[in-house]
Amino acid sequence: MPFASPLALLGLLFLPAVLAMYLLKLRRDEAVVPSTLLWTRLVADVEANAPWQRLRRSLLLLLQLLLVAILALLAARPFLERPAGLARDVVLVLDTSASMAATDVAPSRLEAAKAAALDALRDLPTGGKVSVIAADRTARIVVNETTDLGRVRQALTTIWPSSASGNLGDALELAGKLAARSGDAQILVGTDGALATPATSIVEAPIKVLAVGRSHNNQAIVALAVRTSPSAVTRSVFISIANLDVEYAQRRIELRGPGGLIEVRDVQLDPQARADVVIDDVPADVGTLEVRLVGSDPAVTAAPDDLATDDTAWAIVPPDQRRLVLLVGDGDPYLETALSYLPNVELFGVTPAEYGPKTERQDGRPWDLVIFEDTLPATLPKTPILAIAPPSSSAVGQVSGTVKNPGIGSLSADEPILRYVDLSTTHIAEAARLTLPDWARTIIPSPGGAPLLYTGNRSGLPTAVLAFDPRHSDLPLQVAFPVLLANLTGELMGGSAAPSEAVQPGTPVSLQIPADATGLAVTRPDGSVVELVPQSTESSSVSFTGTDRPGIYVVTPQLVAGAAAQASASGSSGAGASALSSPVPLPSTASSPGAGGSATPSRAPVDPNAPVRFAVDLFDVGESTIAPGSAAAIEALGRVPGASPGPSGTTGGGAPTAAGRPTARDELWVPILLIVLVALCIEWAVYQRDAVMRLRRGLAARFGRPADGSA
Amino acid sequence: MDGPLTPQDDAPAVSRPIARERAAFLPSDVDSTVFDEAFLRQLERLLVLMRSPVRGGLKGGRRSVKRGQSVEFADYRDYALGDDLRQLDWNVYARLERLFVKLFIEEEDVTVTLLVDASASMTAGRPAKLLFAKRAAAALGYIGLASEDRVTVSALAGRASRRRAAMRGSGRVFRLLSDLSAIEPSDGPTDLLAAARHAAAQLHGKGVVILLSDLFDPAADRVIRELAATGSELIVLHVLSPEELEPQLEGDLRLVDLETGEGVDVTVDLPTLDAYKARLAAWKAGLSDLAAKRRASYVDLPSDANLADLMFNELRRRRVLG
Repeated sequence: MPFASPLALLGLLFLPAVLAMYLLKLRRDEAVVPSTLLWTRLVADVEANAPWQRLRRSLLLLLQLLLVAILALLAARPFLERPAGLARDVVLVLDTSASMAATDVAPSRLEAAKAAALDALRDLPTGGKVSVIAADRTARIVVNETTDLGRVRQALTTIWPSSASGNLGDALELAGKLAARSGDAQILVGTDGALATPATSIVEAPIKVLAVGRSHNNQAIVALAVRTSPSAVTRSVFISIANLDVEYAQRRIELRGPGGLIEVRDVQLDPQARADVVIDDVPADVGTLEVRLVGSDPAVTAAPDDLATDDTAWAIVPPDQRRLVLLVGDGDPYLETALSYLPNVELFGVTPAEYGPKTERQDGRPWDLVIFEDTLPATLPKTPILAIAPPSSSAVGQVSGTVKNPGIGSLSADEPILRYVDLSTTHIAEAARLTLPDWARTIIPSPGGAPLLYTGNRSGLPTAVLAFDPRHSDLPLQVAFPVLLANLTGELMGGSAAPSEAVQPGTPVSLQIPADATGLAVTRPDGSVVELVPQSTESSSVSFTGTDRPGIYVVTPQLVAGAAAQASASGSSGAGASALSSPVPLPSTASSPGAGGSATPSRAPVDPNAPVRFAVDLFDVGESTIAPGSAAAIEALGRVPGASPGPSGTTGGGAPTAAGRPTARDELWVPILLIVLVALCIEWAVYQRDAVMRLRRGLAARFGRPADGSA
Repeated sequence: MDGPLTPQDDAPAVSRPIARERAAFLPSDVDSTVFDEAFLRQLERLLVLMRSPVRGGLKGGRRSVKRGQSVEFADYRDYALGDDLRQLDWNVYARLERLFVKLFIEEEDVTVTLLVDASASMTAGRPAKLLFAKRAAAALGYIGLASEDRVTVSALAGRASRRRAAMRGSGRVFRLLSDLSAIEPSDGPTDLLAAARHAAAQLHGKGVVILLSDLFDPAADRVIRELAATGSELIVLHVLSPEELEPQLEGDLRLVDLETGEGVDVTVDLPTLDAYKARLAAWKAGLSDLAAKRRASYVDLPSDANLADLMFNELRRRRVLG
């Protein structure tokens, strides 16, 4: 019998020690008796004063020697060898996507996959290394090349099903790279095969799929949107339900707000079909909405389907936020008209001469956008800026003359600012010759290379520069002009500080930091708070990656103590300003800012430091389709290194070839431990044999039977 | 003994404080824990049963093997020269023409000798075997006194027997109790055989010898043989303590002999105890068989036996008492 730790057999040296201790054990308690007459004739131990006589008769000593020997044997870790069923090195890929939380296999598919993986790893050959990769949207190495199966077992307990979409591509690629480092490697994939994004890349290692899952039964909320009605009084909620089962299903939709239940709808769902539900007249004061897909019968408490993650969805009701735009210029009617039609914008105007420190708002709320038309102040405000036809070089751009009839170069189709903007018939008479700063990207290039429109973040401030005055082109006469302005101002004002649409679990979110905040505190749906600090003081946004759990996330700016007090005080004053509500024709505003240099909107100011919310929802039909996928398709991606490509190149089961197959060890500690326990029990029984015999006699006497062996 | 018990004349005038009220009449040199008055009265009704007639110097209420002047015919024997002619049976001579002498059973008094083992081993047990032996000896001695027998007490200690003066009559009961109270256990080892031989040599004529001992001596069988060989009727009261009958020992022990101080290493467990009990029973059975062969009575007694039960039931059942 081979031993894993043969040095531990040195423990057998304790045998003589036990023997010696037993021989030297001469200490006996003295008891005075009237006479030893009878004892001397009787007792066996009288002869046992000779040590070997005593040893011969001592069952306890024999048991103790046996125990020492067995324990030494146990420490030496004897094992049996058998042909291993796995390659020398194994990369275990565990699919942790949302569908792995399905409960059609108790307790869940992921737990079943863990159990199957541990069972499969029993065939790991001696000294085989195991790497563990958890895969959902991305791949994550949990354990890297360990020979300790206990560590693997421990690591598996830290893997939980995520709510993200499944994508084994990255994980298999990573596993392939790990496997490539070993000459004999194999990839085990614990998955249900229900993947939102099927893997396609070929991996240079055999793949064996530990398939789990068997059910189709799932209905999911796959879309949720909130729209504001034209009257801006109520909201409409659009819910899309998908029945991914192969049977008809009847479910109930509960629409809940912070105050409780708002609406309940029953939906009939055909197999493999969608149903859209529109719920109108949702009150406007509801900030967040929660939609639950529950069973049609409220008396039934059992889960209506096998995956609960996609049965709940959240949405943020977009708030009405008035934007304050200051136009500094001589008055361009086209521009003013186009700006005045922008929704939720209050437009203010001053002439370049009036612009100065007095135009800074006194209510603590900065301008959301300042537009300089044909002018630029010496000191640029610390707000988003749109500079139109800058007359001279400044921080927003270098002006080196003018360009006549510049024309328009090729435009990027993916540019969001140019969405729905058609500039094909636009002609420009004259434009400033600008040099693209390093912080900006070109939106509208000219054929000569000089940008006609560029935008970017200048020291954390969104800034855009339009090289030409619209009045020097036919752009204001085209539909593209208001659309371009809407897109451009929307980009500069940034819309909401939070994502306006639902975020998929696991997707990083870019969160804007208000000007006087030092960081953000994100409260996750489970109540935990993550504090985010920008990497530099000039950063206006931070990236939040902890969106793994569906639900409502609340982002609270962390203010400096002084700034918070000032903001509160100035926000409450809000008086003494001659407000000019939008739409404001420029001539009428020309004198008003000078009256106090401040402008206050007629409505209550929106606090930029107020907490903002965003929702994280699964909304992935591919992941909600929990029907087990094809294991063979995944296994077909694996290829034995050196084998010819093609159908014969795939391994199917992924088992290594029999030739040169390494051996696996089965350590024999369980039977040895059982023997130790039995020996301990026997030793206890021998040590306590008098008590046992007395008990036996007592029982025999109680039940009226004579106790045998009483002599 | 018909009248109430009174203290002996030689008793001290001032009695020592005694817890029990009934013992207030006892002399100070009498162990007040030995008897109470009611027990003494009950003992009066008992007589020591004599299995066979004994020879004695005084006539008493016992039959004697000595044929003599009596009314109870025993046997005939041939006439020998010098026989009393008055004892010739002339009717037989008329029929057979041979001279026969009629023999009659002569009633004599007997000497009851109480041999109390005072070896150190007798101090063991709860209650102590020596205490029990004193009580039993007092009871039996009182019965002898009440039967107008001569009673003498001997303590066996060391290698000798310390014999006290004989006494007669129930009026000497307090002296009997004093004699018994004066028995002290031996400090060193006791050679029971030597002491018994010494006691046998002190016997005057034949009578009843009552040995109260735990017989913890390798020569216990020879003690019985030699005492039985004195011609007296031997009654062996084998006193063992409950601890000796049911040892409460357990574990690896070194048993130390109370008398000799010698030790024995022993691992006491249930089988060992069972073997001990078996050996104890065999030992007692051997002593009992030996006593039966020697026409002696053997009674084994635990030291915690009730003395009244012993006197009125056990000894009667064993036909030691009539």
